[in-house]
Amino acid sequence: MSRIDGPVDDALLKLGRHLRRGQVGEDLRTLHQIGGRRGDVFYRDRWSHDKVVRSTHGVNCTGSCSWKVYVKDGIITWEAQQTDYPSVGGDRPEYEPRGCPRGAAFSWYTYSPTRVRFPYARGVLVEMYREAKARLGDPVAAWAEITSDPDKRRRYQSIRGKGGLVRVTWEEAAEIVAAAHVHTIKTYGPDRVAGFSPIPAMSMASHAVGARFISMIGGTMLSFYDWYADLPVASPQVFGDQTDVPESADWWDAAYLMLWGSNVPVTRTPDAHYMAEARYRGQKVVVMAPDYNDAAKFADEWLAPHPGTDGALAMAMGHVILKEFFVERETPHFVDYVKRFTDLPFLVRLREHDGGGYVPGKFLTAADLGEEGEEAAFKTVLLDRRTGEPVVPGGSLGFRYSEEGQGRWNLDLGDVDPTLTLIDEEEAVPVSLPRFDPAAEAEDGGGVLHRGVPVRRVGGHLVTTVFDLLLAQYGVGRDGMPGQWPAGYDDPAVPYTPAWQEKITSVPAAAAARIAREFARNAEESKGRSMIILGAGTNHWFHSDTMYRAFLALVTLTGCQGVNGGGWAHYVGQEKCRPITGWAQLAFGLDWKRPPRQMIGTAYFYLHTDQWRYDAHTADVVASPLGSGVFNGKTSVDLLSQSARMGWMPSYPTFNRNSLDLADEAEASGREAGPYIAEQVQAGELGFACEDPDAPENWPRVLTVWRANLLGSSAKGNEYFLRHLLGTDSSVRAEELGPDQRPKDVTWREEGPRGKLDLLLSLDFRMTSTTLFSDIVLPAATWYEKHDLSSTDMHPFVHAFTPAIDPPWQTRTDFAAFHAIAKAFSTLARTHLGVRKDLVAAPLLHDTPDELANPHGLVRDWRETGQTPVPGRTFPKVVVVERDYGAIAEQMAALGPLADRLGATTKGITFDVEAEVERLRRINGTVHGGVAEGRPSLATDVQMCETILALSGTTNGHLAAQGFATLARRTGTDMSGLADEHRQITFADTQARPVPVITSPEWSGSETDGRRYSAFTINLEHRKPWHTLTGRQHFYLDHDWMQEAGETMPVYRPPLNTAALVDAAAGAGDGVAVRYLTPHSKWSIHSEYQDNLLMLTLSRGGPTIWMSPADAARAGISDNDWVEAVNRNGVVVARAVVSHRMPDGTVYMYHAQERVVDVPKSETSGRRGGIHNSLTRLLLKPTHLIGGYAQLSFAFNYLGPTGHQRDEITVIRRRSQEVDY
Amino acid sequence: MNALDVTLWVIVPYVSLTVFVLGHVWRYRYDKFGWTTRSSQMYESRLLRIGSPLFHFGILVVALGHIGGLVIPKSWTEALGVSEEAYHLSAIVLGTIAGVCTVAGMAILIYRRRTVGPVFTATTRNDKLMYALLALTILLGLAATVMANIVGGGYDYRTTISPWFRSIFYLQPEGSLMAGAPLLFKLHALSALVLFAVWPFTRLVHMLTAPVGYLTRPYIVYRSREDRAGSQPPRRGWEPIGRP
Repeated sequence: MSRIDGPVDDALLKLGRHLRRGQVGEDLRTLHQIGGRRGDVFYRDRWSHDKVVRSTHGVNCTGSCSWKVYVKDGIITWEAQQTDYPSVGGDRPEYEPRGCPRGAAFSWYTYSPTRVRFPYARGVLVEMYREAKARLGDPVAAWAEITSDPDKRRRYQSIRGKGGLVRVTWEEAAEIVAAAHVHTIKTYGPDRVAGFSPIPAMSMASHAVGARFISMIGGTMLSFYDWYADLPVASPQVFGDQTDVPESADWWDAAYLMLWGSNVPVTRTPDAHYMAEARYRGQKVVVMAPDYNDAAKFADEWLAPHPGTDGALAMAMGHVILKEFFVERETPHFVDYVKRFTDLPFLVRLREHDGGGYVPGKFLTAADLGEEGEEAAFKTVLLDRRTGEPVVPGGSLGFRYSEEGQGRWNLDLGDVDPTLTLIDEEEAVPVSLPRFDPAAEAEDGGGVLHRGVPVRRVGGHLVTTVFDLLLAQYGVGRDGMPGQWPAGYDDPAVPYTPAWQEKITSVPAAAAARIAREFARNAEESKGRSMIILGAGTNHWFHSDTMYRAFLALVTLTGCQGVNGGGWAHYVGQEKCRPITGWAQLAFGLDWKRPPRQMIGTAYFYLHTDQWRYDAHTADVVASPLGSGVFNGKTSVDLLSQSARMGWMPSYPTFNRNSLDLADEAEASGREAGPYIAEQVQAGELGFACEDPDAPENWPRVLTVWRANLLGSSAKGNEYFLRHLLGTDSSVRAEELGPDQRPKDVTWREEGPRGKLDLLLSLDFRMTSTTLFSDIVLPAATWYEKHDLSSTDMHPFVHAFTPAIDPPWQTRTDFAAFHAIAKAFSTLARTHLGVRKDLVAAPLLHDTPDELANPHGLVRDWRETGQTPVPGRTFPKVVVVERDYGAIAEQMAALGPLADRLGATTKGITFDVEAEVERLRRINGTVHGGVAEGRPSLATDVQMCETILALSGTTNGHLAAQGFATLARRTGTDMSGLADEHRQITFADTQARPVPVITSPEWSGSETDGRRYSAFTINLEHRKPWHTLTGRQHFYLDHDWMQEAGETMPVYRPPLNTAALVDAAAGAGDGVAVRYLTPHSKWSIHSEYQDNLLMLTLSRGGPTIWMSPADAARAGISDNDWVEAVNRNGVVVARAVVSHRMPDGTVYMYHAQERVVDVPKSETSGRRGGIHNSLTRLLLKPTHLIGGYAQLSFAFNYLGPTGHQRDEITVIRRRSQEVDY
Repeated sequence: MNALDVTLWVIVPYVSLTVFVLGHVWRYRYDKFGWTTRSSQMYESRLLRIGSPLFHFGILVVALGHIGGLVIPKSWTEALGVSEEAYHLSAIVLGTIAGVCTVAGMAILIYRRRTVGPVFTATTRNDKLMYALLALTILLGLAATVMANIVGGGYDYRTTISPWFRSIFYLQPEGSLMAGAPLLFKLHALSALVLFAVWPFTRLVHMLTAPVGYLTRPYIVYRSREDRAGSQPPRRGWEPIGRP
């Protein structure tokens, strides 16, 4: 035995043999003892759980990871990741492992101090209610008295958020809620009731049950995707699709991956392994981020553009790709792709501009060439290269709905070879193009570029192709073209060269050009396997749609879109409710009443929190120097009301009178409701509520928030919410608009109302900012305490929530809570409301013939032209719906007759579900007696889940096959083989294991034969058109307002407030003026987990603002100092995290750090020191309000103004280090 | 002997020692997981590496010296032929070296504790009190020795203080022996008694559990199960079936 230690050690160890029991090994290394293992019991016991239950994490994380929940003695002990995801095939890594520390910390909430265990109500309100009810003998009368007495209103509204919640019983809480709803519907109209609950995919039944109640009583469901600014408006603009992206396993297929403003390891933690793994396969990873973030650590290359300037970098990369891969050398793969799948070969008319020269006008359509018929204006035209003649190819919108378009709505070009450029023509004319970069003002011509395009005349119209316009836009010159062109990549003066972008973004010109070249070269060699993962870093800006169009240009020009391993991959609050048809049917009560009321969330809150009263931006801020001036002097709210009155965007509350009374009036008039209402409005007898939003009859009165934390997470302009919507203390510092700044079409009331909402109701399992400000808080079951369904776009599975324990204390599932409310409501409504007719004004909808309402995207404002508004064309559609208010609870609990009578429609495809309803009768059982006699039961959450699965193509192979057959009749192309499996997924299947979904026409990609999902592969491979004007992916948008904004094509627009930043810096005093960004954090999913003890220990905990050492030094701030950030919108107190990973001039306050953890009082306001959204506010981008035209038509969460927040600035200074709570 | 002397030299010692003993028992029973040095090595180790051994070896020698001086009667050493002068000289030499080490080590440790941010942040009020008492006791002891031997003509505590100390344990306390001792010795003894009283409630408990066993223990310890392998006390529930 060789000696390991020295003689002293050995001597000691030898001595030790005599000092203790047990056998010391010969080598003096080991000691053998017997017994003494009582401590093991603790660890052994840990794993002797009673049961393991499959569940997942609900609404606010898109990970949709399946988890094992361990239960012992009826107590949830902990959770662990499930490992049984179906294999994705032998050639790539599996989805397992899947999870993150946040999910692993969830069970802490179950028994945590923040858990809401009992129903609570605002004490003052309950006292007044009980007194009034005892005196008046009727809940509705009691509610009416409290809310109509200004003094009583003030008493409970002004103390919102200041404690004073007391326990009440479920019965009393439900009664008050019901009384509020009944009173509001009776007095003001059902559209004064609203519901807010986001991301249905992450607990479909819980979302659907509440939305079903709100929709069936005629209330308004508020959109969330656009409100969260997660909707990339460029997606409807370019693809005619809300958002469709690859699953994360498809990142593995990419050979070149750019992460642009997306911090995948932090915000898509369970999927990030694919990014790491793909690098071992040779994938190159390039990260664009202003800070050295977690993703940058994985990158082969890191480019750090200044925040918000990403569009400039993308434009320069587009410049390089167009020049090197289209002009200097024609890349066959790219040219072939753009000819077939984009609008680049289509012809655009050039219009003479008042200022001289030409500007791009409208698409040339068959109507311009003399074709008759309504659809002719929606058939776009290209030139056949073989004959030189104009051709009207199938696939455009004009073929989508018409009889003669049957079988021709496809991308087949036959023998036609589209002409991409007219460069071979004799003639070229200069066109004027707007530019918005900061240098524009200094240049000759003040923001206008003059560049030549080749043209010819077709049917008397001077036309060119979109491709030729795009080259002019990007500044890619060709011989013989007149106008100003860059001298080369190193020309810094003229857009959009690499050197030009360097001035703006700080990214070296050579790097920008090289990355662009690599990206395109890879796409050429791999046939489209270059991918861009996009994130909130680029999507939450005012001008994000222009940025995204510049990004999408990169993947579309290089033929990557619709290819596995290629294209855009946008992961921002995306919510892929895969069984969408079944969910929508139940969530909006479409089986009983149509249409439901659905409202654009951003506009709703912009109006009703009165942020418009402070918004000095006028719409001309976005206007192009080449515009006609229609935006001049108009405020955003003017354009909002214009959009509403033309039926472009929904507007609820709609009219300034009760829609129930309007329905009666219309009936009494003996005329059709539509024309009657239109005339009333035109005559000024009836007004739009949005034109006088501060009038008490137009206020929203009741708002229910569930599965959401509106006031702690998403409420941009938090302080305005507090002041105007809730009527409590706020730290708004902005001044209201002066007389000359006020809107023209919207009534200005001298006093901005304080406290519009009569009732804020929230359902949650933990105390959040929203519950703290609510009047009634109902205790909800957690995600480990209910049945539900989850799906995501990150993986292709649908799987179940299963209760590990029954809801503890007095908590209830959302399903049980809304049914309790519905029962209480129906009881009161039976006498107070009865059966009523309700007049619903619905906007012009996407994926319906409404898209044909405005040919050429012309603005046809009846108020300006004086013409009679036509409902469904130039005015919202007017539909009268009958509501049996006493039977709402019964109807909610059964699948209604419209499902089989009218079918279920998703994205223009109507499914006949008669057979499925019959099957549901057998699975769920039927209802006996009452209004729902004989209908399939929806009385439990499991039945609801079963119904969602049965009525969707992705989870019911029969419907998928039927949907493809329906689609194939319209396209005339072969859709066979996509959904031949006729597999049916039941709820029990999803409880047993995550189940892969079925390829369905509800989505655009194929998963057939275990293929990884990538968006638009069906479009490419089965020649199915995109849901756009041309049926192709759009570079060019010819709507009037897009032209007015100068955004017909991809363009660079800088972040707002760039100039204000300079001013603020001058007046910052001892502080520092910085750009204020609120990215998503490593330690929370929105506000969830930021209050979780386990997660708090992994971060610094409490509110923090990250800043660079240089900024900190300028303001005399050291790490961990208390600081105060102040701007016009409010105040935030936080501690500084000084880190060299931050760029100068920008601070991060990670999103959704709430007031519930360590928020002291502010020195500036003397009030509780705000949250991340105290410094933000809403601004509407007018182009997001466009509707009624092709892909630019409204659908819920598909299109609408975004509630972005990135363009904000603030002044930060060091504050007294003594903080007071 | 007046009432003050009785209080100080009879009552206080018994109270202090009782608290010392019972406090440790209580702490061991109710705060086993809190029985720790609360090491701050994780926050700072450069100064600690010098200060801690210096202090601990110093204080160990000081402790041994106290045992020699207080517990062993003068008659025993004299019987061994150690003269008062020889004893005194060795006590002074050893005591000075140990005392200097202790004080220097303590100074480094206190300096470190105050100036190194993370260490100071991890310092509780309990720690601060303990440090104050410990430092006071050590400094008073040092001062008493210096005043008596170097400045003054020497003081033979083995005729007064030591018998008093032993008398406490014989349960025949002779408080009067202390009444005549020099002031600094009295103060030193009193502060030590207070220190003993708070001892069980501070991190000083680690003295009783110094990990000396590690010196002689192999690194790898295997524990096989006892005969009742794998069994654990039956849990609440139905009586097991199937076994007669």
